[in-house]
Amino acid sequence: MAQPLVKKDDDRDDEMDYSPFMGIEKGAVLQEARVFNDPQLDARRCSQVITKLLYLLNQGEAFTKVEATEVFFSVTKLFQSKDIGLRRMVYLIIKELSPSADEVIIVTSSLMKDMNSRTDMYRANAIRVLCRITDGTLLTQIERYLKQAIVDKNPVVASAALVSGIHLLQTNPEIVKRWSNEVQEAVQSRAALVQFHALALLHQIRQNDRLAVSKLVTSLTKGSVRSPLAQCLLIRYTSQVIRESGISQTGDRPFYDYLESCLRHKAEMVIFEAARAITELNGVTTRELTPAITVLQLFLSSSKPVLRFAAVRTLNKVAMTHPMAVTNCNIDMESLISDQNRSIATLAITTLLKTGNESSVDRLMKQITNFMSDIADEFKIVVVEAIRSLCLKFPLKYRSLMNFLSNILREEGGFEYKKAIVDSIVILIRDIPDAKEGGLLHLCEFIEDCEFTYLSTQILHFLGNEGPKTSDPSKYIRYIYNRVILENATVRASAVSTLAKFGALVDSLKPRIFVLLKRCLFDSDDEVRDRATLYLNTLGGDGAVVETDEEVKEFLFGSLGVPLTNLETSLKNYEPSDEPFDIHSVPKEVKSQPLAEKKAPGKKPTGLAAPPVAPTSTVDAYERLLSSIPEFAGYGKLFKSSAPVELTEAETEYAVNVVKHIFDSHVVFQYNCTNTIPEQLLENVSVIVDASEAEEFAEVDPSTGEAEEDGVEDEYQLEDLEVVSADYMLKVGVSNFRNAWESLGADCEKIDEYGLGPMESLTEAVNAVISLLGMQPCEGTEVVPSNSRSHTCLLSGVYIGNLKVLVRLSFGVGGPKEVAMKLAVRSEDISVSDAIHEIVASG
Amino acid sequence: MLLAVLFSNSDGNILVERFNGVPAEERLHWRSFLVKLGAENLKGVKNEELLVACHKSVYIVYTVLGDVNIYVVGKDEYDELALSEAIFVITSAIKDICGKPPTERLFLDKYGKICLCLDEIVWTGLLENIDKDRIKRLVRLKPPTEF
Repeated sequence: MAQPLVKKDDDRDDEMDYSPFMGIEKGAVLQEARVFNDPQLDARRCSQVITKLLYLLNQGEAFTKVEATEVFFSVTKLFQSKDIGLRRMVYLIIKELSPSADEVIIVTSSLMKDMNSRTDMYRANAIRVLCRITDGTLLTQIERYLKQAIVDKNPVVASAALVSGIHLLQTNPEIVKRWSNEVQEAVQSRAALVQFHALALLHQIRQNDRLAVSKLVTSLTKGSVRSPLAQCLLIRYTSQVIRESGISQTGDRPFYDYLESCLRHKAEMVIFEAARAITELNGVTTRELTPAITVLQLFLSSSKPVLRFAAVRTLNKVAMTHPMAVTNCNIDMESLISDQNRSIATLAITTLLKTGNESSVDRLMKQITNFMSDIADEFKIVVVEAIRSLCLKFPLKYRSLMNFLSNILREEGGFEYKKAIVDSIVILIRDIPDAKEGGLLHLCEFIEDCEFTYLSTQILHFLGNEGPKTSDPSKYIRYIYNRVILENATVRASAVSTLAKFGALVDSLKPRIFVLLKRCLFDSDDEVRDRATLYLNTLGGDGAVVETDEEVKEFLFGSLGVPLTNLETSLKNYEPSDEPFDIHSVPKEVKSQPLAEKKAPGKKPTGLAAPPVAPTSTVDAYERLLSSIPEFAGYGKLFKSSAPVELTEAETEYAVNVVKHIFDSHVVFQYNCTNTIPEQLLENVSVIVDASEAEEFAEVDPSTGEAEEDGVEDEYQLEDLEVVSADYMLKVGVSNFRNAWESLGADCEKIDEYGLGPMESLTEAVNAVISLLGMQPCEGTEVVPSNSRSHTCLLSGVYIGNLKVLVRLSFGVGGPKEVAMKLAVRSEDISVSDAIHEIVASG
Repeated sequence: MLLAVLFSNSDGNILVERFNGVPAEERLHWRSFLVKLGAENLKGVKNEELLVACHKSVYIVYTVLGDVNIYVVGKDEYDELALSEAIFVITSAIKDICGKPPTERLFLDKYGKICLCLDEIVWTGLLENIDKDRIKRLVRLKPPTEF
């Protein structure tokens, strides 16, 4: 019977432009859906309407709550029809509409009826629909039927129940876990797919029970698993068990023989899965690897692209850890460079670059050159990075690799790609001294025709640092000065700086550089002119007194001494005034990011060998201030200045705080007195310190205001001030506590235990000890996970006298909130370790 | 998990899309990513010749069948091989329904059937049936022959 929607092939021409769903509209389809309510159901018409609804849903058309409910209710009427095709459509549309929990009740009885129907297919579909729309309460009602269905002799019914189980396990794990026995039985099923689904479900049920998984694997690897899909699953579970069990004492790996036997399976899927599992074994040996590599090598020449891709992807991974094992496949991989599928070709290239030996580099480069022109930029970047590593591995081959990089640099490409090439050339120049001159010339040629300002300035900067140190610096000048003539202002300014660097380092070029810089004085851009003027001035090109050579070089090549982000913030905050911007006011401290630092994998642990973090700029400012006062000038280097300690309540007439400056053998108090009342003037302020309770003190620092007219004398009581042990400790972090701890050694170690008494929480105890010692918490250990009963906190610092101290605090809670602490101190001097223990004992 | 099955015509218009476990806000991204992938690579490719790609930890196997581009996306156990298995079932089921590699028109004519087949092959992200004859029977609510 011809269907009305199908046209015969003879009117194909019309057909091309005409879609059965052309002009389809949601409103109209919803209207049509009323046919579902007809007392005399037209099954075919209903099927067509459902198709249209499906089309709308698949096109991403959203139904409102009301619309969906209305359609859903009318669809439920279709259960009356006995038409099989329509019934199948009904099952599908109910799943697609995914009705809400309160509506589900309408269909559950119909579905439950189908679930117990004699028609197997009704059963299977009803199970799938019910499981899709059901919630926990309904599930307990139908659980009995589902258990039966799992062991149903019809594989479709069993599969439907098993796959439903896999989904329900996410939402109702308790219920599904009770089906273990039935699922176990289904694993033995003769139907391949049932076995596959049952194995997946059984593993999910037992995945947290290592022993059970191990037993499952042991029994199944001995028996016969029919379905290749199930076999793949089994291989995965097996490698999981192998990972967790390690190598036996006899040196054999459990289950390796099973994996190896799978390499001879008839299904490619299984062979590949086993090969991949073997290559991913922990500490795999060459002997274990060989059979897997052999089958992967066969896949490389398979006619199926998917197999080629899978094989080359796996070999690429192996090449990272066992490059020698893959070399046998090199010839097959070389033929993949011309593969139609670019993903395969790129993987082949990068694998070859990893496994290639020195003699094959040239041949490989020739092949890659042809290949590069027809792949996308993101693939090219991968290749460039691989070539960079290859070059660092075989520095003698730099010539051909550098040539390759310079050739591709000339070709078309986006910014990221060009940047990857430039970065690679720069790295090669830095690491391979012989490559320097050639590399610099390649970069020079590139900037002659470079459309990316960022790259031009980066190269100019690099050229300025490296170019003057080459045998013939003059040959680069032409390229640099061309930038001044041809480029935009940013690049021009960069070029001026680069010229100045050549002038500073190469005396023979100096007069000629002056000529060029003087020409830049007439540039149309402010920045370019300013730079030219500045450099002429510093280098002495304008006849002025020249600063010493050292100073010039420091100025041109030295770092700013402050982090760029801090400088940027300070400049933004600077308000133009008569007072020039002072670079010394920029904080030198890099904002610490303990977590980020921990995550950065490339960072090498430096331990205590690393210089202590630069003191903050406020300390610098204090140091300058103090050394400018003659009385304090002879105290030597300032060790530490405390944060201001308030000596008055917040809202008093005069706010007074004190900063404690610690020198090696002196303590200076700086009292900052702020007048909070605008109408009043403070003058002749002095602070009288009653040091009767103190040990020895040296100075009192008077500060005075400006006199205006007669005033009133006043005396004002300040809070007591304490100098605490934390004042003698500098917070200096270490990047790798463990290394630092090991390097300090146990010679000056002192360990003792203390009871801290009842505390609200461990956090409170940790914070109290940290602030008592005034040390820097390391590696984020100051944060105590909630509800933990014990915690270890690592601290580091520098004690007065520049002695490094490391502290390991172990806290434990015992009894009713009683906190006990074990304190281990390592330092460069045993007396410091003792001092720390005294601080804690007396604190 | 089989994250997505997507059909588009050669102009990149979506005919069918089924996502599983992909958040709604990421679907648009996937849709355009796949269509772009097809536009760049599927020109001149023979019917049912498989192409493969990976994007982060996700695998994509795609092909062309008549006027229709077919993409399947998976991750974890659904790697390129499992996906190629899935796409093979899908293409053979569609050829079966349409009688030949379909034109867009023919595909739309058989839209309902195709939806039913997909429902049998992939069920909320899991491969359920892989035998086309069996699928053909299942969509007509006929039990499979082999048991």
